[in-house]
Amino acid sequence: MIPLVQIRDLSFHFGERAILNHIELDIDQGTTGALIGPNGAGKTTLLRILAGTLTPSAGEVLLEGRSFTNMPRRERAKHIALVPQSLDVPFEFTVQQIVEQGRTPYLGMLRGLMREDRIAVDRAVDLTDLASLRHRIFNELSGGERQRVKIALGLAQQPRLLLLDEPTQSLDIGRQVELIDLLASLHHEGVTVLASIHDLHLVPGNFAAVHLLEPGQPLVSGSPEIILTPSQLSRAFHCTPGRHPLLQEAL
Amino acid sequence: MPTTVQPVTPMLAAAPAGARAPRIPASQIADLGINAVLLLVLLASILFSVSLGAIRIPPHDILAAIFARHPLTETQQAILFSIRLPRVLASAIVGAALALSGLMFQGLFRNPMADSYIVGASGGAALGACIGIVFLSRLAFFGFSAPAMLAFLGAFLTMAVVYWLARSRGRTNVVTLLLAGFVTSAILTNSTYLFELYGPDSTNSVRIVDAWLHGAIGIPQWRQLGATTLLLALAIVAAIPLMRRLNTLALGDEYAHQLGIRVETTRIAIILVGSLLTALAVSLGGLISFAGLIVPHMARLILGPNHTRLLPVATLGGAIFLVLTDTAARTLFAPSELPVGVLMVFLGGPFFLYLLRKSKREYTL
Repeated sequence: MIPLVQIRDLSFHFGERAILNHIELDIDQGTTGALIGPNGAGKTTLLRILAGTLTPSAGEVLLEGRSFTNMPRRERAKHIALVPQSLDVPFEFTVQQIVEQGRTPYLGMLRGLMREDRIAVDRAVDLTDLASLRHRIFNELSGGERQRVKIALGLAQQPRLLLLDEPTQSLDIGRQVELIDLLASLHHEGVTVLASIHDLHLVPGNFAAVHLLEPGQPLVSGSPEIILTPSQLSRAFHCTPGRHPLLQEAL
Repeated sequence: MPTTVQPVTPMLAAAPAGARAPRIPASQIADLGINAVLLLVLLASILFSVSLGAIRIPPHDILAAIFARHPLTETQQAILFSIRLPRVLASAIVGAALALSGLMFQGLFRNPMADSYIVGASGGAALGACIGIVFLSRLAFFGFSAPAMLAFLGAFLTMAVVYWLARSRGRTNVVTLLLAGFVTSAILTNSTYLFELYGPDSTNSVRIVDAWLHGAIGIPQWRQLGATTLLLALAIVAAIPLMRRLNTLALGDEYAHQLGIRVETTRIAIILVGSLLTALAVSLGGLISFAGLIVPHMARLILGPNHTRLLPVATLGGAIFLVLTDTAARTLFAPSELPVGVLMVFLGGPFFLYLLRKSKREYTL
């Protein structure tokens, strides 16, 4: 079966500096993958290229064998949604109004939300357990609640691939567990997920595939057991073995 | 290789068991009511305003003339149709244009403290129009006078410069925006004096330009009113599809981009329409500050931040607000008249400072 997304020989340069170098990656339909790597390895850059907000310097992204880069912008937004690290809203939008923005790729210049749009928004709100917060002001929510709203916004796009950039960042352990449970329920719903994860403790048991990105190096993919080894991590994160609990034994 | 791509994740597309019945939001019905009430209030304000002045024409006499065919006296007719009605309608157009442009600039800059005066567009329009008045007053293209066209060009170029100055790494720094707008506006409005001094008919130009810089709504010709009404209608029609885009832009550039919006094209469209509205307002009333700040802000307090809902309310609200303030400006100190721009500074200045105080934690340097 053809992978949902194929990344072929992808490179991204920022001026003279190579951020991503000859990346190869297949993402299978229905899988939940973790993208890990040290700061500055290019995790966010890779997610942005996949979402179409950055254009690669070389290489291509294929969606079920079809070039994603050449796809019209709005078409792309119907297939891949990115949940960025932060969402800064200047006005007092409610949760419902924010999630409805996820329908933007489906709306024409003048067409308002139709039946199918409302169903998609309701579905996204239900999946993220936001029904009771629908009419709350987004800016007044806690960090964990905002993270759920951002994911609901992504789900309202009805994407085939949901990308999450550091979804557990600045969440307390209780909210981290809630988020991991949410990702598990999305997996159960058939949503393909790729999330960049900083806290490696959260990876085993929750992500079937791990993709390790090192600055300027090819991407290494495998199961958590294969990738999250002390030797592999200490090399990738430039940390002396034994200096961090994670590097003393396999996770 | 497959030729088609499945559009959505199947499970996300399916309605959940017991899915709520799709509904027409109550807000849409409420909006119709609010806009109908605002339209009535606007008509009542116009009626009230045209009845006031040195010679009072009671509102019921005007209503009787319209509905019961009891004609007004010749003097009353002359005052009404040659002086008061054109001026009151001009103030309504100015108010509507300022409020809508303020709404659009606030959305564009993602900041409730922007309006066409603060970001410098009015200053650019004033300079453009001033050059037109002093040097090219007899020139016209396709029925549009050179001052009107130069006002539009001035507003657009100023907005482009201020926008470029205030944007950095995809964000608008509010302090930079306010300073860039203030400085650009100061340079432009003060340069108008140079053109007054060196223009061919300096005495007349000084008088006209001076009134402009203080925001005095004159008594326009009916032809000019017709043309500006048409342009206002065009600008409103052009603004309608941009309103939902403004909602998406409020999420930030990255979100707007990944949701399929052409961010830069949309911004240019907003600047174009906002500049057209500013030029319309400036061509009828000169530099009037803060109306574009206060009205959208009030509308947002009542209706929330959805720009689609705000468009009609801010436009009608702006028209009402300026009809009433211009009426106050011309009657409070009768027989002298205060330029409405001066009255607006007294109203809007403290309001702006209140906003600054309220949000000071967010805008620290």
